[in-house]
Amino acid sequence: MRLLLLCALSVCPGAIRAQSGDVEQGKAIFRSNCAFCHGLTGRGGRGPNLVSRPIKDVKSVVRNGVPGTTMPAFQDFEEADLDRLVAYIGHLSGGGVKSAPVAGDAQAGRRVYLRSGCAGCHRIGGEGSVFGPDLTRIGAARSPEYLRESLVQPSADIPPEYEGVTVTTRDGGRVSGVRVNEDTFTVQLRDASQNFRMFQKEELSGIAYLAKSLMPSYAALPKQDLDNLLAYLDTLRGEVKAGAGVKKAEGIR
Amino acid sequence: MRRVLSLGLFLAGLAAAQPVSYERLVNARSEPQNWLTYWGDYSAVRHRELTQIHTGNVKDLRVEWIFQTGQTGAFETVPLVVDGIMYITAGNGVAFALDARSGRQLWQYKHAFPPGEKATGVNRGFAILGDRLFMVTPDAHVVALEARTGRLIWETEMAEYRKGQYTATLAPLALNGTIISGISGAEFGIRGFIDAYDAATGKRVWRFWTVPAKDEPGGDTWLGDSWKRGGGSTWMTGTFDPASNTLYWGVGNPGPDLYGKDRLGDNLYTNSLVALDPATGKLKWYFQFTPHDTHDWDACETPMLLDLNWRGKPRKVVVQANRNGFFYVLDRETGEFLMGTPFARQTWAERLDAKGRPVLKGSTEPSPEGTPLCPGLAGAANWMAPSYNPATGWFYFPVREQCDVYYSSPPVYVEGKPYWGSVFRGITDEKEWGLLKALDPLTGETRWDFRYFRAPWAGTLSTAGGLIFAGDEDGYLMAFDARSGRNLWKFYTGNRLVSAPITWELKGRQYITMPSGAALITFALPR
Repeated sequence: MRLLLLCALSVCPGAIRAQSGDVEQGKAIFRSNCAFCHGLTGRGGRGPNLVSRPIKDVKSVVRNGVPGTTMPAFQDFEEADLDRLVAYIGHLSGGGVKSAPVAGDAQAGRRVYLRSGCAGCHRIGGEGSVFGPDLTRIGAARSPEYLRESLVQPSADIPPEYEGVTVTTRDGGRVSGVRVNEDTFTVQLRDASQNFRMFQKEELSGIAYLAKSLMPSYAALPKQDLDNLLAYLDTLRGEVKAGAGVKKAEGIR
Repeated sequence: MRRVLSLGLFLAGLAAAQPVSYERLVNARSEPQNWLTYWGDYSAVRHRELTQIHTGNVKDLRVEWIFQTGQTGAFETVPLVVDGIMYITAGNGVAFALDARSGRQLWQYKHAFPPGEKATGVNRGFAILGDRLFMVTPDAHVVALEARTGRLIWETEMAEYRKGQYTATLAPLALNGTIISGISGAEFGIRGFIDAYDAATGKRVWRFWTVPAKDEPGGDTWLGDSWKRGGGSTWMTGTFDPASNTLYWGVGNPGPDLYGKDRLGDNLYTNSLVALDPATGKLKWYFQFTPHDTHDWDACETPMLLDLNWRGKPRKVVVQANRNGFFYVLDRETGEFLMGTPFARQTWAERLDAKGRPVLKGSTEPSPEGTPLCPGLAGAANWMAPSYNPATGWFYFPVREQCDVYYSSPPVYVEGKPYWGSVFRGITDEKEWGLLKALDPLTGETRWDFRYFRAPWAGTLSTAGGLIFAGDEDGYLMAFDARSGRNLWKFYTGNRLVSAPITWELKGRQYITMPSGAALITFALPR
């Protein structure tokens, strides 16, 4: 097939046949469109946990995406399919797959955050560095399970927009950073000092894509500190100021 | 004397405006100053005997002019250049004629869409025959325009756009008195076809259904009534061999794209190359690359016609780097399978058998849980134009290295709605990349390749200056040494490239033209 522009911009899941009611149909829609980020059971992954707490106006979120996040806009869902999707998410929530409660003390967790140097890479509101992911609304965007894994095993899941790269210049210099952009002939990084570092590839003798996260592991934190830190992160549900731009969900090419 | 001279100039001016006869199209490669068909000539080698720009000076290539179409959407056109005038389509039913030397507009055409209809959609270019231009429109019409003025001469509806979601995107192919066109819409449950129209009147001369009816040959390769919405779009321009009077056309995927249980069987003639008699539309032979496809692997790539010294003997062949990841060589007189070799990562076929039919690696079907498979849905190749350089004897084409997870669920047909049978997703975080590849069509072996950061959507051009021009997904137009693969020049155009470069000549200067974004960019060496 050839992408028609009218459908190129969205998933256009169209009509999906009844298997055994709306939930089954919703499941098919969820699996092929949502599970990629939210997990097969909706308990979250790179996208937030959809079952631990109610989400306001799911339909609007699905249709319009969430500016400032990786949640794309699924603009061409049929209304009936959206209803089925909402029904299925409701079904998942009722299925006893609640997240484990966050046990720690958020106030104490904030102190762990400050003394562990997290703000050297991360930002909450206007405070901190833009080198690593912004945490302003991380409690809404990620499940506690995902965040625990990120602290203990940061390399378990590295969002593509925070991929680490080390370039070696022809004179032997090495620069590491988060890859901001790259094409066939150039690469742009953001280094730990939050500066852009921009290279023509012909100036480089090598580019290494780091399989490991640039974030160190906090597995050595005492368990109570880790729990407290998670409790603190879970409270972070602030607004991220972003433009109106959202990515449109991809369709068939 | 002066009067004689000026009369001579006047006559020369007249000569330059000669209509584009069928004979000129047959001999298009003997007019390297022009670009007379979508592919540049009927065989689609996309090679030009122009040498002013060569491996030694291409580094000095610079922008000569830029024309802005003002149109949104992917700019996929390949311009025609006819004696100093450039004709382009710009999508959304808009087209232009330009002074090729300056880029200045001569006329603009805007298609009149039916009231309330969507007026958007890509287009890949014009065909020219005589003093007329031919293009298709997003509402599935073929229109004939007067080349001098851009005025509409005739307009024919190929299929009812509103009901069945038929649409059209390709550059038509002009033959001797007829205009051949294909159709798009296999994602909407159409039944595909290839049509011939009388260039003079717009009346349809014949139609070849790419999905046979139940009682026709091949009709038994479709379960039940599934043929009625069997897909088989024909959205890329075919090629033509005037010597044998044969038309070659690639056919797209069966519908629904990702769900095959309702259409069990090989699903002829989807994902096939069909060879037709251009006078009648009768099938001479077919070759199906991917029987019963459920991965959207259209045979939309160029069926390039080559005369090769095949295993020690001259042989007329047709070659295609197919979306399914294999490079095929077929005898173009008989359709006999001669060779098929993988040119990219593929995880679906164990091998091709002696007749070229794939032997599958277990189950490759999309599933509700998702089936990871290479190549991805967009294919290891796609519609991007390849080229052939006679000096090296190599085939130059863009390769997409990208895999997908294929999902599937049974769809219901609703008129005018997508009929896909679910969706696909990229495999988490696996980086795609691309290659410009020089391949020996005699062996299928790679002679060199150049790695792109992303999987490309732009084609290639070969010149007698020893150059291959190509574009990448980030927007670089590049020139390479055809023999060594060395990158000799690049220009960042600022938008992804989704067409293929052309070259032409005017008043002693060689030009390169490439669409990018809404800009048509033309390059030349400094004076």
